[in-house]
Amino acid sequence: MRLLYDFKALFDRYGVGVGSFVAVVISLWVFILILLPQIAMIDMSFGHNLPPAERGGPNDVYTLSNYAYFLFGNDGGFNTLHLTIMAKTVIASVVVTVFDLILCYPIAYVLAHGAKPQAARLMIIGLIVPYWVNEVLRAFAFRILFGSTGLVNGVGLALGLWSDPIDFIREDVALYAGLTYAYILLMIFPIYNAIEALDRNQIEAARDMGASWWRIHWRVVIPMAKPGIASGSTMVFMLTTGSLAAPQILGGPSNLWFTQLVYQWFNEASNWARGSAYAVILVAVCILFTFLMMRVFKVSIGEIGR
Amino acid sequence: MTKTVTLDHVSIRFGNYLAVDDAHLEIAGGEFFSFLGPSGCGKTTLLRCVSGFVQPTEGRVLIGGDDMRGVGPNKRPTALIFQNLALFPLMTVAENIAFPLEVRGVSKKERRKRADELLDLIALAGQGDKKVTELSGGQRQRVAIARALAVQPDILLLDEPLSALDLKLRQHMRTELREIQRRVGLTFIYITHDQGEALTMSDRVAVMSRGVIEQVADPVTLYDKPKTAFVASFVGETNAIAGKVTARDGDVVEIESASGLRLRGIAAGGRNYPIGETCLLFVRPEQLRPDGGAANVIQAKLAGDEFEGNARHLLLDAGDLRLRMMLVNDGRMPDVPDGVVKAGFDVESALVLPDGPLAKG
Amino acid sequence: MTSTAFNRLGTIAFCLLFFGFLFGPLIIMVVTAFNSSSFPRILPWDCFTTDWFGKLANDAKLLHGLGNSLIIGAGVVALATPVGLAGALALSEVGPRLRGILYTVFISPILMPGIVIGISTLLFWGRIGSGLGFGFDSIFFDGFFLTILGQVCFISAYSMLVFMARLQRFDHTLTEAALDMGATPAQAFTKILLPFLRPAIFSSAVLAFLASLENYNTTVFSIVAESTFTTELASKVRLGIDPSISAVAVVIIATTLIGAIVHEAYQRRAQALAQGGAAAQAILANPAAAFIRHPATVGALLLALAGIAVYYGKGHDSKACEQSILDAKLLEQQRLQDEMRARTQQQQQQAPAPAAPAGSAAPSTPFGGVFAPGGLGGAPAPAPAAPKPAPAPATPFGGVFAPDGLSGGKPAQ
Repeated sequence: MRLLYDFKALFDRYGVGVGSFVAVVISLWVFILILLPQIAMIDMSFGHNLPPAERGGPNDVYTLSNYAYFLFGNDGGFNTLHLTIMAKTVIASVVVTVFDLILCYPIAYVLAHGAKPQAARLMIIGLIVPYWVNEVLRAFAFRILFGSTGLVNGVGLALGLWSDPIDFIREDVALYAGLTYAYILLMIFPIYNAIEALDRNQIEAARDMGASWWRIHWRVVIPMAKPGIASGSTMVFMLTTGSLAAPQILGGPSNLWFTQLVYQWFNEASNWARGSAYAVILVAVCILFTFLMMRVFKVSIGEIGR
Repeated sequence: MTKTVTLDHVSIRFGNYLAVDDAHLEIAGGEFFSFLGPSGCGKTTLLRCVSGFVQPTEGRVLIGGDDMRGVGPNKRPTALIFQNLALFPLMTVAENIAFPLEVRGVSKKERRKRADELLDLIALAGQGDKKVTELSGGQRQRVAIARALAVQPDILLLDEPLSALDLKLRQHMRTELREIQRRVGLTFIYITHDQGEALTMSDRVAVMSRGVIEQVADPVTLYDKPKTAFVASFVGETNAIAGKVTARDGDVVEIESASGLRLRGIAAGGRNYPIGETCLLFVRPEQLRPDGGAANVIQAKLAGDEFEGNARHLLLDAGDLRLRMMLVNDGRMPDVPDGVVKAGFDVESALVLPDGPLAKG
Repeated sequence: MTSTAFNRLGTIAFCLLFFGFLFGPLIIMVVTAFNSSSFPRILPWDCFTTDWFGKLANDAKLLHGLGNSLIIGAGVVALATPVGLAGALALSEVGPRLRGILYTVFISPILMPGIVIGISTLLFWGRIGSGLGFGFDSIFFDGFFLTILGQVCFISAYSMLVFMARLQRFDHTLTEAALDMGATPAQAFTKILLPFLRPAIFSSAVLAFLASLENYNTTVFSIVAESTFTTELASKVRLGIDPSISAVAVVIIATTLIGAIVHEAYQRRAQALAQGGAAAQAILANPAAAFIRHPATVGALLLALAGIAVYYGKGHDSKACEQSILDAKLLEQQRLQDEMRARTQQQQQQAPAPAAPAGSAAPSTPFGGVFAPGGLGGAPAPAPAAPKPAPAPATPFGGVFAPDGLSGGKPAQ
């Protein structure tokens, strides 16, 4: 009730009409669009995959079998295939996140403190424009680039770096490159926002005192960038783990992404209950990772997503 | 058209913080009334309470005798001029001025007419179609006043409206504000931390410190007969000398300072000063004379000398005391002897007040 | 001194590489749209052609998907903007404790995997629909309805971030001033705050529309039996890639570039006018300059340019060139096939064929299609020439890129 009292300021400032509009709309958003669907999905994940006729019947009982399947498969041994896919997805996402961090930190720093204003403005436009292009098309561009007769193979062969075309698709190189590319913006801007606030004089002062450039970064800039790094890493990890288009288009034929498993339970095996369980597992892993990041970087959730 | 404002034992709390402590006073209709105090003394809170943005925790606010409890800011006969002016940046000058009429459903033609009249009043005729961003600081100031007047309020509230202007413009606007107030005859309640503004414009001034109203009086009384140590030290420049009461004769009190100086002054407010009580003796710089021919004399070393044209300020060092002396340049300014100054002052020009916190600076 | 110069050079080189990485793939993709080779590539360059655009213009499925996307986009813009505004307003007024909780909840749909939002929306409304006794043809199972709601769930959060950024710059004393001048709270909102938020409403609408148009992860679940531009595009890519997809990219990039340039012109003009004084004079004084720099003129010019490009593109005919390339290829193909035949004979004599990898690993999984030998086998990786003969003479790619070779496979139905 104390929480509801917090809304009073809203009514005081904008009146009953706007206040009620805000209250009703955010309630609908939070409950109808966000929370209840999640609950429905969790509920579904504990059910059996029943034909419509049997729903609500005696067989419609709660079960852990869908989760058990993820761990043990049908025959009691470990479900190595799916567990491996999950592990691979998480590890690959971490790798992609680290790539993005290495790639984006210098750019964010240059943007905030190195470039002149016009250059920075141009850089920001240059950063945003590629992301107006459809996600599917961006993945497609990498497909072209890394194809057997794509530019990478063409250049590599012409320079004599390798003698036969390399199948970058099968090796997942194209996938990692595509995923790294896909979420660059989400890494750059949080870091940029965090270090933009840094006083230039601090850097100059450190330099005056003879600190080497890596020490300046390690002791002055990175501590400042920490919330941005945490925020960016969390978002990149979450979206990479949850991405579907890029793995479908760029993934090697034998390597599945975890989201593709969920997709197949729904669209090919038509086992919605099990698909829901897998989706819940996916969310759980993402949330676990977020908490981990918050622990490691000692930041609060409020700072993420800025 | 003019209404009284009554603060009936108003206290305002934010959580555990007491912003205004038992403010009790009445402002007469048509009066130019100022609240003067350092930042954080609660004067702005009090003003927002009169305009309806803050509710009193205890007590009542009455305007023209009507209790304002439950009356929103848009329903009160007050208009507030904000410290940052709060002109609407997306509207033209005329639209800004006519806004109060617009929200009252006045027709467009009538609005334009009223806006033009008000633009005339503030000497900005013909500039109604400009953007507010195109105006100078002083012009914006006047637009804010015109917009507030368009409300046709009974009481105009001004929250440090001159603080953003430069010194010259500020002095000019003081005269102008006072002039406008005479012309429209409204009750003005003016908030400032600048004693010069308060003293030059106001009929009466309330000096506030830490949420408490220390004294309410006209400017002359405030300057000559401060009631508390804070008022004495905040309004105008003064020298404060702490000491213990050693003797008392009618209105005259003698104190002994820490360094053993015996000085005499007039006891303020006819209060009884028992022997041995710690109290403060105040004497204004312009009351000090360098020739030593007076009832009270303090020997001091000359530590500084600032010539300002119309006056000369001397900084004196008397051991544990630092004094300021001001010599008015009336063409017969006495020479200042080198090294030692005998600063003298009359008993009548020194004021003894109970010990209390002084204004900083 | 030398070390700073060295640092500068290093920085510039890194930036160039970075932006090369950012733009390179897109530029290559754009160029491939004009190569007549039926596999999108730059090298070897066959013929300059505009045929892929023609193919695109006749792609009924994609156009149908685009139509659906426009409807969904409009719905999402109409809903996500007010929801985002409400969220931002709530956050700007509530106390710090509730603010933290609300912010976390509001932002969570952005962080949640898109497919989870699609799935949960699908399940929730399906359950409500069947709970109320509606059939599969009711709105609760309608792809448009579900997709709009699923997208609004997280696009509202984008919208909210846009509004929050703008609200942070709002001077709340303006609202107080309006109230003090006698405005009702509702008037203060509509006359002061809303006009201030107008640019944010515009940006949020554009952002919401683009996000809706390009969304795949959520839509692929919530769209059910229908299709959108992006799901159509994705199935096209997965079924086999050809340069008409690059042509889509060209169209999209051209459109966004025109939009961006017009927007920039508008921004500069607005900024100059807002500053007033000399900057505004510089624009308004000279009518010719004012006309040239007006965003509408800029837009019209760019559209005209695009129109001319399309007109000439339509007229271009690359048939002759393509035929000559085809002839050369057929010859080459013939030669390669002969060679291949000779080599396979040799190999067969030397070693038995490699066993199909991984295929038999999990017979119990429902992913038969993926692990079936056909999905993997095909050409062993380093195979410049396809064992498959005729139908795709110009593609030197084997089964890897054949329709059934892809991991995802077709969506059910």
